[in-house]
Amino acid sequence: MKRILIIDDDQSICKELKELLDNSGYEGIILNDFSDVIAKIESINPDLILLDINIPFVNGEMLLHDIRSFSHVPIIMVTSRNNESDEVLSMSYGADDYITKPYNPTILLLHISAVLKRMEVSSDIIKYDDLTILSKKGVIKNESQELILTKNELLVFSFLYTNRGNIVSRDALMTELWNNDEYINDNALSVNISRLRNKLKELGYPNAIETRKGQGYILL
Amino acid sequence: MRLWQYIKDNVFVISISMLIMTIIVSFMLIFKTPLELIIIVLFFYFGSWIIALIYGYFRKKFFYDQLAQNLRLLDEKYLIHELIKEPSFLEGKILCQVIYDIAKSMKEKINDYEYKLEDFKEYIELWIHEVKLPLQSLTLMAHNRHQIDSSVMEQIDRIDNYVEQVLYYARSENSENDYMIKEFSLENLIRKIALKNKDAFLLNNITLNVDVSDIKVLSDSKWLEFIINQIISNSLKYHRTDVDSYVAIKASVANDKVVLAIRDNGIGISKSDLGKVFNKSFTGANGRIGVSSTGMGLYIAKKLCDKMGHVITIDSELGEFTEVKIIFEKNDFFAVLK
Repeated sequence: MKRILIIDDDQSICKELKELLDNSGYEGIILNDFSDVIAKIESINPDLILLDINIPFVNGEMLLHDIRSFSHVPIIMVTSRNNESDEVLSMSYGADDYITKPYNPTILLLHISAVLKRMEVSSDIIKYDDLTILSKKGVIKNESQELILTKNELLVFSFLYTNRGNIVSRDALMTELWNNDEYINDNALSVNISRLRNKLKELGYPNAIETRKGQGYILL
Repeated sequence: MRLWQYIKDNVFVISISMLIMTIIVSFMLIFKTPLELIIIVLFFYFGSWIIALIYGYFRKKFFYDQLAQNLRLLDEKYLIHELIKEPSFLEGKILCQVIYDIAKSMKEKINDYEYKLEDFKEYIELWIHEVKLPLQSLTLMAHNRHQIDSSVMEQIDRIDNYVEQVLYYARSENSENDYMIKEFSLENLIRKIALKNKDAFLLNNITLNVDVSDIKVLSDSKWLEFIINQIISNSLKYHRTDVDSYVAIKASVANDKVVLAIRDNGIGISKSDLGKVFNKSFTGANGRIGVSSTGMGLYIAKKLCDKMGHVITIDSELGEFTEVKIIFEKNDFFAVLK
């Protein structure tokens, strides 16, 4: 399980953020004491840090600079300071991403998974039982036949696949699509899902995507 | 200063000396002074008198004409004391001292207000950062409790939007410029704004069409985000329910300029209101038809555009469409820097 360190001095945000991360398959760790942060980061050794700029004792940007001197851990700056110069400074100090408060929780999760994915050697081949999805080519196939997936179908499938076994809400799917410049509406999402189902059915998986009423979809 | 004005101003002194001269000449005639002597006395008297008059005239004329001219040319007239050279005559010296004292107290007053304004602006910025924290908590709570009742989120978004308005109002009104121009792609920016307004688009069944393929602009991305967000939230606010609503965002390059057009098929703006939409607090007819409107969004957007050197224009047909265009100049200076 990926461990994410939350460095923020707002108790309420920390608590809710931890809950969000814990519910999304990560382990959220809250840093309570801001003295000697560097040593604490070293001992916790997180997989990713969510760092606020306005924290006690030390400025977040300086802290970022210090962390970068010994570690390449992914860092996402999460701050209410909404101006260009802070963003430019943070990015030049080696932040991986910059998000301003208030952010949409789903979008924060997308950014976290994108940053973490960048760290890993990503493969563009997804294996789903005996189906193979070549995401670069936009193709889904089994041994006997090959079908073409549209960009939207591919996005939907990949997203369900990353959250395999968990319920994915329509809103989360929609956010993922919009985050990839596919500004579709509710009907179009339904159409895409039913097309995707038909293709899976053709390849012998008629019940791969289940609908959970009022909650969303789940890839079994 | 004209000569006759000067003479008129000195009419009392002139009449007195005329009178006295007449009396002296009369006495000289009574005492049978030789005519030649009277003429010589008159000649010297008037001669010295005219020289004194002309000298006084030019000395003052030079000073006051220059003062008047400097004042005319000056934009900020209260700075006139910087341009006065102290004259040699008493009245001028007194005037100089008075102007100098007035200017000094004026400057103190202005400084005082500037400090107060700066303090206030700093406090507003700080306050906005602070108020975003509870907004963030609320957003996370709504998400975590699985009560993402979109109406709750909508209200949080509304608060956030108003808070941003205050922030950018403070930034746009301030004389110093705290923006930072750099090159960035419109695609990323539009994505951010689209995601921010996703729920409103879906809830109202409004289609979003984006065509900004790989076009980059020179601007402050945060300021521009605010500007475009204001335009789009207007489109969302004033959509029509009797048609398939859309918002189309299209960028194009023409004559070394990038034109970003945001068009909707909403309720439109009447011709009489169209010229005033960038005015402060202007709400127009649309602001009175049940949708709350502060009349600040487009005003701030225009101010920010002006500061960054972008041109913003609006075109509309009542009941048909509204189209806002932002025109970005290509900057050679930045091309060289790169």
